[in-house]
Amino acid sequence: MQSANMLLRKIVRSSVLPFAAQHGMKKDLFLLSRTLSLSVCLKQDKSYEPSEKLDLDEWKKVMKSGMQEEVSETISEPKELSSLAAARETLEMWRLAGRAVPENISEEQLKTFMECPSKSAKKKYLKYLHLKELHKKNHKRKMDEKRERRLEAQDQASKTDETKNNSFVCMLSSVMDKAYNWRAAQSMIFGQPLVFDMSYEKEMSVREVTNTVSQIVLSESCNRRSVDPFHIHFCNFKDDSLYHREFIKQYREAWGRLLITVTDQCYTEIFPKDKLIYLTADSPKVMKTFDHDKIYIVGSMVDKSIKTGVSLARAKRLGLETAALPLEKYLLWSTGAKNLTLDQMMHILLTLKDTADWKKALEFVPKRKYCGFVNKPVKELKKTLDQINTLKLGKGREEEQKQFAKSYPKK
Amino acid sequence: VQPPEKPLQAEEWNKLREDFHSPEIFEEVMLISMIRCNSPIEVAKSLLTHLAKRDGDIAYSVLVKYLTLCVQQGQVSEICDVYDIMKVRFRILESGAYNLLISGLSNSDQWRMALTLLEEVKKIMVPSRKCYESCIKAASRHQEMKLAFELYNEMLAKDVVPTLDVLQSFFDFSRGMKDAELQKELFGILLYLRENQIYPHKTFMRSIKLWFESIPGGNWRGHLTNIKDSGQCPVCNHQLEDSNLTEEEYSNLSERIIRDVIHGTDTFRKTSPQEFEAFQTFVENRLPFDIVIDGLNVSHIKPRKMQCENLLDAVNFLAKDNARLLVLGRKHMLMNSSNWKREIMKEIQNKADFFFAENISEDDAFLLYATLRSGKHCKFVTRDFLRDHKACLPDSLTRHLFRKWQRGHQIILKKYFFSVFSQQPAVRYDCVVQTTGDTWHIPYKDVFEEKYSYQIPRKWLCIQQK
Repeated sequence: MQSANMLLRKIVRSSVLPFAAQHGMKKDLFLLSRTLSLSVCLKQDKSYEPSEKLDLDEWKKVMKSGMQEEVSETISEPKELSSLAAARETLEMWRLAGRAVPENISEEQLKTFMECPSKSAKKKYLKYLHLKELHKKNHKRKMDEKRERRLEAQDQASKTDETKNNSFVCMLSSVMDKAYNWRAAQSMIFGQPLVFDMSYEKEMSVREVTNTVSQIVLSESCNRRSVDPFHIHFCNFKDDSLYHREFIKQYREAWGRLLITVTDQCYTEIFPKDKLIYLTADSPKVMKTFDHDKIYIVGSMVDKSIKTGVSLARAKRLGLETAALPLEKYLLWSTGAKNLTLDQMMHILLTLKDTADWKKALEFVPKRKYCGFVNKPVKELKKTLDQINTLKLGKGREEEQKQFAKSYPKK
Repeated sequence: VQPPEKPLQAEEWNKLREDFHSPEIFEEVMLISMIRCNSPIEVAKSLLTHLAKRDGDIAYSVLVKYLTLCVQQGQVSEICDVYDIMKVRFRILESGAYNLLISGLSNSDQWRMALTLLEEVKKIMVPSRKCYESCIKAASRHQEMKLAFELYNEMLAKDVVPTLDVLQSFFDFSRGMKDAELQKELFGILLYLRENQIYPHKTFMRSIKLWFESIPGGNWRGHLTNIKDSGQCPVCNHQLEDSNLTEEEYSNLSERIIRDVIHGTDTFRKTSPQEFEAFQTFVENRLPFDIVIDGLNVSHIKPRKMQCENLLDAVNFLAKDNARLLVLGRKHMLMNSSNWKREIMKEIQNKADFFFAENISEDDAFLLYATLRSGKHCKFVTRDFLRDHKACLPDSLTRHLFRKWQRGHQIILKKYFFSVFSQQPAVRYDCVVQTTGDTWHIPYKDVFEEKYSYQIPRKWLCIQQK
């Protein structure tokens, strides 16, 4: 210990600490002195080497010497790279530099990457692929863990082999499916129609169409599971459109067995016009109650760039009635756009249909978008606000009128 | 993390690494903090040596960070060494490393190497504007103006937007040269400023002034001045270019506004075809107007007043010189309500023409149409900057035309404390770099002046040839 103390004293005398002390870095000094003394303690038996003896350029030698064999390899390869290969190489270098770039990229993705019109578009696309890859990896890891756990559980179960006595019949998913399909089939005969307007393909990018389709798939599934499903119509649906291709990608062979009506006709051709209500967040009219005799139309559009009034324009063109959800009336809105995803709309409409309870239905609006429910109707709140304002401003108004009379005297 | 002040031994690095909360990223975090603190390069070297001894290799990301430190301190020989190592180790590099290498080398006497590196970058991607900037500056610093201009033109051809610094360096380094070709190129830069409506800042303006005055035998003199509202230069009495558009520009702009702003992808988004047709016939029957007023916008000027009173004040104020007024509004204004009293509305309707659009239509589009249709003398009143309508125009050229027209024709009513309106005059001269051959007028902004994009600089550089 004594020798360590000696050493410490030596260090104090040497350059590091005085420099720190000069600059008044008390906290840093403390840290530094501690780590230094510790490191000294660790190698007590060795004599302390002053750091000046370090060969600082040694790393260059190491880097250069380790590469002699690799150099000969690189020379044998063709010097000129095709543009695809060059792009692949650049991606690899970006990955090494620590940018958000996927590890593996397919030929097709690479082509999409090269077709991106700008640098920022390229960056965004790579980040998207990178995140997708991460999600996939995490998912796979979780599934592996789950499988292991299951195998372990099975091992244990086989040890304690016991026949289970269960009074309930195990409901197989296929049985559930049959029950759901029965309800959906009922709804196709007796159910209230709900229209998805599939005419927005031109307004959307490929990504947006993909998102739209997955939202519709979600809404279709929650509709099927509900007690009293809607009879879903896909109107203005063109065969071999982007929508169609995406649906086939997501549903596979189940696409042909879906209990919904798909048509290339417009809703105005199928239903009487006066029964149609187009739901759009831009509508000046606010929905008061859910009407069981009306046919509601939802535009199948995901709109990431802000295109206001597209669906309102469509309804105007066809001369249809429009409505917006009374979000302002029931919720204290905080952030986010008033347009909701298609599956949220479906949840809300289903709840309204079953219960006619706005509060329950609007539970499906994402929590981040509002602060809470309005306990009093907004009209009353506004009235009291107005009253307060008139009380406050009453005096001001008079004064202003006087001033007005002064500056514009009557002739 | 605080980087150490002296090179450390391997054991000491190990110790530091163990104490760090996530040892996997220790080296990168340490290098980043070295860059921040501008630590001596020896410290970083000792870390690299430790790494090389431990792993037999150094990761690319670590090398790039070390390179950043070298560039920051201008260690040219180190930069070259790192480049040599990288070149052997990796077949190509990525943009970050190229940027660093080029900007590091261009500041040294090895600047020609930066040019060869730029050629290398071009093979795999479009070089960043930073790369071009470094190379151009290096070339012009060494009086290779021809080379610099070649790079500059190449940059423009690739749609890489040059920084003001690059443009300024051309003027800085061509001072005192007598070369007709060079002079032409520099005038070209001034015209580039004109076409893109770029205003140089004060130091850039000074470089331009000094260059002009340094041309041998040119007899150019520069003065700083403020242009009068009339558009006359107080120094040389020259009348600046008119802000009015030419016939062709004007018809081009009105066509574009009808096509892209009013109709857009779907006429129903802003209005409906019936309504627009009704509006068109209404306007054609009453042409021409002198001032078109955005009724709803004006009616909100003073929030404490009734909206119809605000509108009445504005109309009274603008109707002074027998001007023909058109007020655009929405149908709800006709309903008798607390804000829109029927008697007052009747009074206003006696003084001005009115068009009421549907409540869900956009009245701004009508405002633009009516003003453009009435002709060049017609002005419009709104506090709206009309940014969303400008954004509907697809190309930057038309957007510039729109801004220019807007500057010349928009009146903004300002509220004062007691219901007296003041009128912001529409600027009558065009605020761009302009020349007549023997004079140049260049608007500029102060370096620290905060200027919004809709504002125009009031300060000018007047250059004339004696």
